[in-house]
This record gives sequence, C-alpha cells and structure tokens, in this order.
Amino acid sequence: MITLFDYELSSDCYQARLALAVLGLHYSRVDVEFYPGREHETEWFTELSPLQQLPVLRDEHTTLYDAQAILVYLAARHDATGTWLPRRDPVLVGEVTQWLGLSRALASSAGAARLHESLGHVTDVTAARARAHTLLRTLDEHLWFGEQEGRSWLCAADHPTIADLAVFPDVALSEEGGVSRIDYPAVRRWTDRVKRIDGFVPRSGLFPGGSAAAPWPR
Amino acid sequence: MTRTQPGLPGRAWHPVASSADVVLRHVFQGRLLGRELAVWRADDGYVNVWENRCLHRGVRLSIAVNDGRELKCQYHGWRYSNRTAECTYIPAHPADAPARTICNRTFPVVERHGLVWTTLEHDRPEDLPVLPERGSQLPLRAVTVAAPAADVVGALRSYDADDDLRLASESDLLLRFDGASGPGLTLLVQPSDATTCVVRGVLHGVDEADPDVSRLTLLRLHNRALNRLRARVESEVGPLEPGNDEPELELVPEELAELPPATRPGRSASLRVRVERKWSAGVDVAGFALAPLTGHLPVAQPGAHVDVHLPNGCVRQYSVVNAPGEDDRYVLGVKREPESRGGSACLHDTVREGDVLALSEPRNNFPLRRDAEHTLLVAGGIGVTPLLAMAQTLAHHGLDHELHYFAQTEDHLAFHDRLAALGDSVRRHCGLDVAATTARLREILAGHAPGRQVYLCGPGPMIEAAREIAAECGWPVEKVHFEYFQNGQEIDKDSSFEVDLARSCLTVQVPPGQTILEAVREAGVTMPSSCEQGACGTCIARVIEGEPVHQDVYLNEAEKASGEAIMTCVSRSASPRLVLDL
Repeated sequence: MITLFDYELSSDCYQARLALAVLGLHYSRVDVEFYPGREHETEWFTELSPLQQLPVLRDEHTTLYDAQAILVYLAARHDATGTWLPRRDPVLVGEVTQWLGLSRALASSAGAARLHESLGHVTDVTAARARAHTLLRTLDEHLWFGEQEGRSWLCAADHPTIADLAVFPDVALSEEGGVSRIDYPAVRRWTDRVKRIDGFVPRSGLFPGGSAAAPWPR
Repeated sequence: MTRTQPGLPGRAWHPVASSADVVLRHVFQGRLLGRELAVWRADDGYVNVWENRCLHRGVRLSIAVNDGRELKCQYHGWRYSNRTAECTYIPAHPADAPARTICNRTFPVVERHGLVWTTLEHDRPEDLPVLPERGSQLPLRAVTVAAPAADVVGALRSYDADDDLRLASESDLLLRFDGASGPGLTLLVQPSDATTCVVRGVLHGVDEADPDVSRLTLLRLHNRALNRLRARVESEVGPLEPGNDEPELELVPEELAELPPATRPGRSASLRVRVERKWSAGVDVAGFALAPLTGHLPVAQPGAHVDVHLPNGCVRQYSVVNAPGEDDRYVLGVKREPESRGGSACLHDTVREGDVLALSEPRNNFPLRRDAEHTLLVAGGIGVTPLLAMAQTLAHHGLDHELHYFAQTEDHLAFHDRLAALGDSVRRHCGLDVAATTARLREILAGHAPGRQVYLCGPGPMIEAAREIAAECGWPVEKVHFEYFQNGQEIDKDSSFEVDLARSCLTVQVPPGQTILEAVREAGVTMPSSCEQGACGTCIARVIEGEPVHQDVYLNEAEKASGEAIMTCVSRSASPRLVLDL
C-alpha cells in the first residue's frame, strides 16, 4: 500500500499526486498541515523527512522525501509501459534528469513567488519573478522548436515523461505568484496538452482542460 | 477614438499571433496597445479575436475551454459562440434563452501571411501591409521584448541575422529587408503596451527545395539573432515600470447613450441572406442554407426560429437546424404543405439558390435546458427541426438524451446526414398509424423520473396526445416543453375591453375584431411579434391585473391557469380591464 504525506497547496506534492494518478495507482493520503500549522517541523514528521520536505512517499518498506525522487521511484517501480521514465534510452534519461533540475529551479523562483503571495513567505519576490521569467523564456523556446520538429513534450519522445509532470505544476500555477505566461504561447499550449494526459488530475487553482479536437461534422 | 501611442505611426491593423499559435481547442492570450485579447480558432477554422474577459465576472477568457464551437468560461460556465461572441447559455438560468445583447466584444480579424491580424478600431479599412508572396513564406518565432516599440524599431534597423540581408524600407513599425541571394525578411513590431512589444518576422522566398538551408536552420538562425537583439535592447532600456499604458476607456457609444429610435410597428426583418444551397433533405422537405450578405449572422440558440419574409409577401416561421458553433449560415428545413397558404409552396417552387431573402433575427421561445440528467426529444415529421438543433447541442456537450423521430417512411426522415452523425441517440419510428403512435408514445414517456425533461414538436394532434400521455405518466407540466407549428383553434375576436399599459402610462380600447397587439401598436408602443397566431410565444406580455382568456397554444395549462402571462396576438380579456406590464 502506498501512502502519500501530502499538502494540497504544495506544487511538489501535486507532482507526486499527478504521477500517482497517471500511473493509475491507489494510495492513501495523510494530510500534513504545512500552513499555518507548520506540521512539517514537528518531531514525527522530521523523523520521516529529515529535511522537513513535503511530500513524503511510503511504499512497503521504502520512504522517500523528495518530489523528483518520488517521481523517478514511482515510474521505475510501477510503470509497466516503461514510458514515463525510459530507462533503456540513455538520451531520454539524461533529458528527463535535466528537466527535473529545471523543475527545482522553478520551485525556487516561480514557486517562491507564489508562496510569497499566498502564504506570506519572506523572499525577494522581484528577483524570484525575474528568474522565473528567464526559465519560462527558455522553456518556451524549447517547446516552440519542439512543435516545429513535431514534438509535443519536453523530452524527445512521442509520449510524455515524468519531466512533464515535474515541470507542469509550478508553470501552471505561476500566475498565483504574479508571473504571467502571456509571453510564452508555446508553454501555454504545452500546459493544455499536459491537462489532456490520460489520468490527469487538477488541483485547486487549476482548471481542468477541455477535450482535444474532434472532426467537424457538416 | 484613436489608439495610437505617442510617436508611433498610425497603422490600425497589427499582427497579434501567428497562425500556428492558434491551434484547435486552445485559447491564445494576446495583447495589443495595452488591451488583452483572447484569440481562438473554432473547429471550422474561423479565428476569433475577443476582449479577454467574460462579461459576467471579468475572468479571463484565455483560461476558458475552447470546445471547438464555443468558449465556455471556467468560472460560471457562460458560453460564447464562435464568430459573434453572443452568449448562448447561462447555467445559472437553465430555463432561459440569454438575451442577444449579452455579447462579448469582438475585434475584426484577417489571417494572412501566416499571421493573425486585428485592429482595435472598428470600421477601419484593412490597412495591412502587403508582404511579398514570392516563393513560400515562413513566419519566425515571435520574440517578446520588454522595451517600447520605438526603441525596438531603432535596434531592428541594424538587424544582423546574416550578411545577406539589407534594409530596404521602413514604415509603420515594419522593416523590410531584401536578401542578396537568400530569402527576404519582413519584421513587424507589435506594440503590446507602452513597455512591451513583440517582434514578428516573416521570411519570404524561402526555397524549400534547397537542402543546405533547412527550415529549422533558418528559424534557429533568426531566433538567435532576435534573442541577441532583445538582450541588447533590454539592457539599454533597463527595467521599466509596467502598466503606464492603461487602455483608454472608451466613451459609452452613442447608440447606448440615447433612446433607441422608434421602430416601425410590425414584424422586423433586419437580416439579408442569400440562398447558398437548396436541396432535398427528405421527401417533401427542402433544405435551405442561408448565408449572410455581409458580416456575421446573429447566433441561433437551439430551439430558435426565424421569420422568413417571402417574395410573395408571406411571412413564415422556421426553426433553425444549426448545431452549436455552426454560425456561418442558417440551415432550415421546409416541408411542402399540401394545403399551403403560400409559404411552403413559395419556398419549394419559387425560391432558388442565389435568391436574397429577408429574415428576422432568430428568437428563442423554445429554449433548451442543459441541466437535465436525461432529455427526451420527441419529433413528428418536420417538427424535427428545432429538436435536431437541440440533439446536436446535447450530443456536443456529452449530455444524455434520446431523439425519437416519427415519420411516414424512412425516406420522409429529413436531414439524414445530421441524424447519422447523432448515432445511437436517434430512434426512428416509421409508418405507425394513430393507435400505434399513441402506444409508442406511451412506451417512450413511461419512464418519468426526477431530473428528466421532455421536448415535443410535431403536428398538433401528436403534441396533444403526447402531452396527455405525459400527464398520465406523471410528468409535471413544467417538464413538458412543446412547440406547435400553428394554432389550429378558432380565435374568438368578439369581445371588447380596455387595456392599461402600466409602463407606458397609456390606456387603449380593444374593440371587437382587433387584437391587443394591434391596439397596442396603434397607440405607438413597440411590441415584437412573429407568428401572430398564438403559437410561437414572441408577443408575450406579463399580466399585472385582470383575467385573460387564453386562445394560444404556447402557454401550458399551469401557465394559463396562473393568469400571469398573455399572448397579445390572439388572447383577450374576460374582465373589463386588463393591466399589462408594457
């Protein structure tokens, strides 16, 4: 049985919920009140997650406390299709890892600006937003040229990977932190595609997507 | 109103997206001169440029759902139609047809040179720059620069993607470069707001056969050059305070600030359409596709009808068959009536493709609820037309429904293609006599349960029978919706009475032989009407005081018994005085 120690408003926790959902895994949730209760600083939680990070995943005898580590573990352990983390393809493994790194950079910029706005975290919000825009510019350029090459996802595969799940939350929620996506049209189209992944679950602050195009009957 | 920035030339039309940006089932978020735009392509290919806000609570429509035919606001589910941006449905008012005045702001659109162009000024001629069309055109990746347009234009003069390009001309935020040996380039600066602009480029004369210069190589080359330019301009200009280009607030337009002009009494026919196609849609049924002479047609909600003004002077009502988002023409189905009084015979025999007809705007007195768990649509003969529009809407929204269609033979079933597209939800009942029809109706209507609604349209006797059976099966009257083709009742016009028009502060006498509608119009009060025989519901008025004598077939028994509404074209008064909310 999988257990997720979860906080609804955390984008790292949302990454884990997305991965569990698209992999079709059953799990139980334990709510950890990050705000205002600061439950992640309690003794019982620190024992689970020494760096007091959310989310924490427990599966049988394994306990993991880092969002990207949890995605890698879930895909490696529970994805029979082998597409979410294509372990046999060294290029794709490299690309996935590179984008997992970008998701952390987004968490400390777009994510930090969002925590500043919504939960009152103290941060240099101007610098955080500027950094987020730099990352989004890079992401938009990558995705735009991807479209030109017939690629829909972050990695050079014809299917989504955990990279898309890791990068999506802080991008899709950026406007809550005052980071508009108006100048990143390719990023906006990619978020539509992520919302159409089979098993996608929305969260508060995010609307579900519409369905993909159907033929026009006349 | 002029919307030019100080120091900028006054071209009205600007590119706001590239065609490739506006993919199906997506809403592009654009910006021009400080105004945000929602740009979306319907499944039929039409590109809409709208103000980026829902009329209801101002939520951005760029996060709405593009369902291929309409935009649905994510906040309270208001739906806006392709092309006209008219609101077609408000979930909080499921029984009502939204008024036509609920219409989002649209901007003119031209798609050309791989770009989507618009202008914030209405009635401006298309002053689009003409780009060379020699060879194939290749739009570049647009690059947003956080600097005023004038600074960006200045920097673009020394654009240095490769040595082949030479600045040939410059005007109106546009720079044209000639290629000495390779493709030429046009760079356009889209002024997003005072501190931001977007550089859009189109290469022309790209030799697609040249293996040395691939499309991607060119795109990457220019993207690198534009990124360099952006870095340079942004570092020169420095950080800018955004938001100092608030859009000018427009004055309230004159037509809204003044009293509307007095309209002529009688039925209006404000639309002109051309018969684009006329075909046999079934035995004795002519299909008509009517396209606007200019501009867009107002959207026809499911259940709506139009008055068709015929060359022989007749005015007839026909339901619009259109599916949601099918807004470039109206599709009507007209059955040849053996005892035609001039309407159907004229449409069948006289009206041809290419003819121009006058129409009223569509009216919806037979609105479709979309909050039912299951909707039954029961059609007899040509009564299928409004129900077909409803079935297509329910199918498009994925709502549970059945369309029961009674006809003489298979060949009498009209609009085969549309029926086929609806698939299993259509149940065909052909060749049944009266007794068998009644028995079948009893089977269909037997399953009343809360959360179900039924809509009936067909010949009078069939609707009568279906309504009786529905009542016997326990359907409450408010869940049984119906529309008659015509009012078969004998209308008694012998009484005389007085009508007080409470809003207009007028009292009019209605003598024998005259209708309330005629008397009201004679007194100078504008009143809409359509069928003028008590079937369509257009000339409804609220009764404040008095006892109406109902002679229409529009209101149901409960509505008639309540005495709160009256059809002014046929109904009269039992009391000497009737006070109407007019």
